[in-house]
Amino acid sequence: MFLLNPCQHDACEKNSISHFDEKGFLVNDSWFCLEHCPDPKKACADIHQYITENDKIISLNADYLSFVDMDFANKKFYGCNFQHCVFTNIQSENCRLRMVFFDFSSFSDSNLLHSNVQYTSFAGCTFSHVLWTNSDLVHNNFSGITSYQSSFDDSDLYNSRFIRSKLIATSFQNCNIKSTCFYDADKQNVSFKASNTREADFTRKETKLENLYAFIN
Amino acid sequence: MKIYTHLSIEGFSNCYIIGNEQTKEALIIDPGKITKEILFQLEDNQYTLVAVLVTHKHKSHYRGLPTLRKIYQPQIYASDYEIAGMSATIIKDDGSFEAAGMHIDYYSVPGHTADSVVFKIEQVLFTGDTLTAGMLSKTNHVYAQRTLEKNVLQKLITQNDNMIVMPGHGPPSTIGAEKKYNLSIGCPLIISQINRNKKKSF
Repeated sequence: MFLLNPCQHDACEKNSISHFDEKGFLVNDSWFCLEHCPDPKKACADIHQYITENDKIISLNADYLSFVDMDFANKKFYGCNFQHCVFTNIQSENCRLRMVFFDFSSFSDSNLLHSNVQYTSFAGCTFSHVLWTNSDLVHNNFSGITSYQSSFDDSDLYNSRFIRSKLIATSFQNCNIKSTCFYDADKQNVSFKASNTREADFTRKETKLENLYAFIN
Repeated sequence: MKIYTHLSIEGFSNCYIIGNEQTKEALIIDPGKITKEILFQLEDNQYTLVAVLVTHKHKSHYRGLPTLRKIYQPQIYASDYEIAGMSATIIKDDGSFEAAGMHIDYYSVPGHTADSVVFKIEQVLFTGDTLTAGMLSKTNHVYAQRTLEKNVLQKLITQNDNMIVMPGHGPPSTIGAEKKYNLSIGCPLIISQINRNKKKSF
């Protein structure tokens, strides 16, 4: 599990990113965030190189980084932090993610086919032209995502949550959506064809305080 | 610190093993059901189980406790005597203690149950059945709900936005995400704002 050390720069509230020792091993002590590290370009390049060279990545902290035209196919990520990152044109087939945090990140034109993702958070992410087809996406947090023209077809979304998400032209065809939660999701041109919609949660019983709020308005 | 998650099939609750790599000690949070995988994880990593933390008195969160006590001699931290009898260390209100070489803060967050506790280890909140991804847990009546909302707002939502939330049920989240997307948290914030505006207008 990554360590969330704050940036050493005065009054900076961002997390420090991972850096590497002389032997190329990952170091997760208190350092600087991407903005305040002495050489941001080198820090980015080092993290990119580490991901490229290793198939199993554990405890990497890469807040606010950009990943463009990279190949994550067959990579395994455990306990990593990619919050506020930008992923563009990523090829990531057969990727395995466990306890990885992508909160408020942006994915565009990416291919994550046949992924195996569990206990991972994508809260507040933006997905634009992202393919998750034929993936195992069990027990994940997709709350607050905005998804444009993306596909979750033929995937297992068991016990995942899409609370307050905005789904536009997004496809959930032939998915297992048992116990998948779509409370307050804004769905425009969304298809659930051949998915077990009876097993999913689309509406919830409003609490008395929320009724009061609705009454006041 | 290393964290391993396990989904207990009974009650679909999350069980967490937290290992200290330096001292080779470990603690377990909410042992819903002790499986072979959990025991192998402890043994393969050569961890000594020194503590068990229970977030609240619901069977799906402490059913595996007797199994663990047959094998190890962990110190049990809970806020209700009925969970482990007189041998448990009872924690009340807010405070902190040391276990497995780690500093652990705890916050009493009643509402879902009267004894609900949230544990904070480094930058991770183990929220049990108080705050989960996108919503708060169920309560028996409106007063309990109000108490839960008040406590979550005062004690959990005030934490750093980057703080990780590892709940008793469902997927993980962060405090920053919960502030924005939690269905129950936005509402009381708005109500308090409305009440404030009303007072101003009078």
